[in-house]
Amino acid sequence: MGRKRITIDPVTRIEGHLKIEVEVKGKKVVDAWSSGTMARGFEALLTGRDPRDAPWVTSRFCGVCYSVHQYASVMALDEAFGAQVPWGGTLLRNLSMGAEYLYDHILHFYQLTALDYIDVMAIADYQGRDAGLLEVKDKVLGLVAAGDTSPFTPRNAPDEFCVRDPEVVTTAVAHYIQALAVNAHARNMGAIFGGRTPHYQSLVVGGSTQLPDLNMVAKFRTMLDEVADFVDDVYLPDVLAFGTGPLMPLAEAGIGAGHLNYLSYGGFKMDPQGKELLFPPGFIRGLDPSGLAVEPFDPARVTESVKHAWYKQAEPLHPFDGEQIFDLDREGAYSFVKAPRYDDLPVEVGPLARMLIAGNPTLLDLVAKGVKPGVVARHASRAIETRLVVDACYRWLDMLTEELTSPDFKIHDSAHWAPPEQGQGAGFSEAPRGALGHWIKVKDKKIENYQAVVPSTWMASPRDEAGARGQYEESLIGCPVDDVDNPINVLRIIRSFDPCLGCAIHIIDPDSNELRRYVIDKGC
Amino acid sequence: MRDSWFKDDELLDAVEARGIGRRDFLKICSTFAAALGLSQVPFAARIAQAVEGSAAKPPLLWLEGLDCAGCSISFSGSLNPPATSILLDKLSLRYHEALMAAAGHQAEEAFHATAEAGGHLVVVEGAVPTADQRYCLVGGVPFKDKLLAATERCAAIVCVGACASFGGLTREMVCAGVGVSEIVTDKPIINLPTCPVHPEHLVGVVLYHLATGKLPALDELGRPSAYFGQNLHDNCRRRGYYDTGKYLQDWNDPLQKDYCLLLKGCKGPKTNADCAVRLWNDRTNSCIDCGAGCQGCSEPGFYDDGIQLFT
Repeated sequence: MGRKRITIDPVTRIEGHLKIEVEVKGKKVVDAWSSGTMARGFEALLTGRDPRDAPWVTSRFCGVCYSVHQYASVMALDEAFGAQVPWGGTLLRNLSMGAEYLYDHILHFYQLTALDYIDVMAIADYQGRDAGLLEVKDKVLGLVAAGDTSPFTPRNAPDEFCVRDPEVVTTAVAHYIQALAVNAHARNMGAIFGGRTPHYQSLVVGGSTQLPDLNMVAKFRTMLDEVADFVDDVYLPDVLAFGTGPLMPLAEAGIGAGHLNYLSYGGFKMDPQGKELLFPPGFIRGLDPSGLAVEPFDPARVTESVKHAWYKQAEPLHPFDGEQIFDLDREGAYSFVKAPRYDDLPVEVGPLARMLIAGNPTLLDLVAKGVKPGVVARHASRAIETRLVVDACYRWLDMLTEELTSPDFKIHDSAHWAPPEQGQGAGFSEAPRGALGHWIKVKDKKIENYQAVVPSTWMASPRDEAGARGQYEESLIGCPVDDVDNPINVLRIIRSFDPCLGCAIHIIDPDSNELRRYVIDKGC
Repeated sequence: MRDSWFKDDELLDAVEARGIGRRDFLKICSTFAAALGLSQVPFAARIAQAVEGSAAKPPLLWLEGLDCAGCSISFSGSLNPPATSILLDKLSLRYHEALMAAAGHQAEEAFHATAEAGGHLVVVEGAVPTADQRYCLVGGVPFKDKLLAATERCAAIVCVGACASFGGLTREMVCAGVGVSEIVTDKPIINLPTCPVHPEHLVGVVLYHLATGKLPALDELGRPSAYFGQNLHDNCRRRGYYDTGKYLQDWNDPLQKDYCLLLKGCKGPKTNADCAVRLWNDRTNSCIDCGAGCQGCSEPGFYDDGIQLFT
């Protein structure tokens, strides 16, 4: 039987520009290639600049997950400047980051992926009497009557995994519309301490610029209540109901599993000393769900390959000394994304990795019910950890309330605002999409070098020296494609990772076609 | 339920028939009429006529070039009116990589059908590379070609954010990004810089264009004068402290909390934008209010070589 190659370009409902190619044989994907097709080149912009600019600039890696870049960047700067961030400053950073997580995960499920799992047009058959749902029905029927159903069409033809029950579909579309407003409220909540969103303004080296008061805390709490209600009453139930209901066959089949290696750097202090972190660090090598074995995270095992990426060959360098030169004519290259590896293995980072490494009971319960690692498990993990972030935000708010009533309340280490003559630092964090690291080297009070390895680089990566596929590519192997003109399962799998290509191709990493070993000075 | 100053029931019926609540509609009209310095009644009537008069909603192609998607996210935060009302009731969103149902060839076919039919609006987010077209490929073609195809027969172009307007941060990157007006020179272009775009700026000019078929009054940089006509420093709530020479030096000190941010690098005096009065995120906060200061992101070359954000 012959092979047929399908190209999906652009992959939509993601952040950034991504091309996916798959080879199909016998109605299954037998090979896959993931290509990031946009690069800007932040390094040239940052080199020689005032280091304090870096968080503001690197936020622009991505307008969806801006705060985590700012957070990793200020942590790298804190170390390079020798700044001691007051607990108040850390709490403000955490709350701003938390607000971004909440909107980001909700946006991903409803705006970016829900349309893959429902047949929107089933709304026409809704026979219920719920006033809100009838309004949704009327809205969609209005589009149909006017002969223009954009942006819901054109679309992939619904398949056997698409929910067609009119009541369920109508409810889902109502939630889609509701989620946009909840997202906006969550972002507005982030602006209380972040200044404005997207792209916060108040996260700086040494802490925060936004001196809070009790009114702000109360406002944040009120808005958090609203988001929490949506998470509890709508998002989490939707994901679990879909995942263990109509999508259970997809969940049991483990569609989109990929390499079963999972990595988390861990992050977000729940106390001033960081004894407890919101997300624990760790590594799982070849998941065995019957006995979850988590190894400690060892930063020295992180490597990066550019064998199949559009960069010039260079001698291996420590990341603090790395340089970056594009080579758009490089033979064998097919992506602007590099290929990070852990202990030479391709890994998955992000919500599923974090919840497995944390041994989250809700996820493990789903696994016990037959949900295998893959598309459904990824959505479920994202929803589960959204609830954890809600809880963390309440705890941070309580701690902030206590802090700011103390007479020596501080948000910033003002003694270390001026850039040092020289220094270097690393910031490690967990972005909504997974493990994130920023590195900075300062010389003569200017940025000598800056670089980052971000979540979507881990997963959207092309093949490495050993020919091992990246996680997007590997997860597609075996994917059912009944109709090569309607590769809906391919898109479900890719979107389940929540791709963020703007981040993945910021291009400020060291470049080499050799495997490179990072020596990371400290973890979170 | 309706405002007493509006007399024409037929228009309102027509609007309502298109799925827009009367009250919401009138609120929207008056908000944006006021913002753009228009008389409210005729403006509301014109929007109503525009919505009612045309059989089909005006098509929109939203392109992303060298971008971060921050402007899309910013726009999606519009609450008054809600982004869904703009996207479902007032425009026909034919192409938007982050939102549309279709992918791959289906998406590209929708793009070309709309671009060839003409008369559509184009929103551009992100810059155009000039160093090498391969720095941004979308649907397998250089972004520049896609932009030219999208705009050849369009009615108007709205550039959202600093990158599409003037190149933004990408000006100084390896890709050497430039704004749309350096590539497309024969079409009406509205620039809405700030990084990201302010959602109210975008919603305002779109509604204005729907109502009048024209562009609002623009300054020499293609920015609506209604939004970018005044110096930010002149409208800053910290201005009194500037005038008396009190500058914030320590973010921890409650006494300095509202002092002028000039010593922290605030670019307000060199910036024309209405952030100090409009604020951000539904009036929650702003760059200046949060103590960080303005970075001048509404101005061309705001982060060109030699500029420091915090000094």
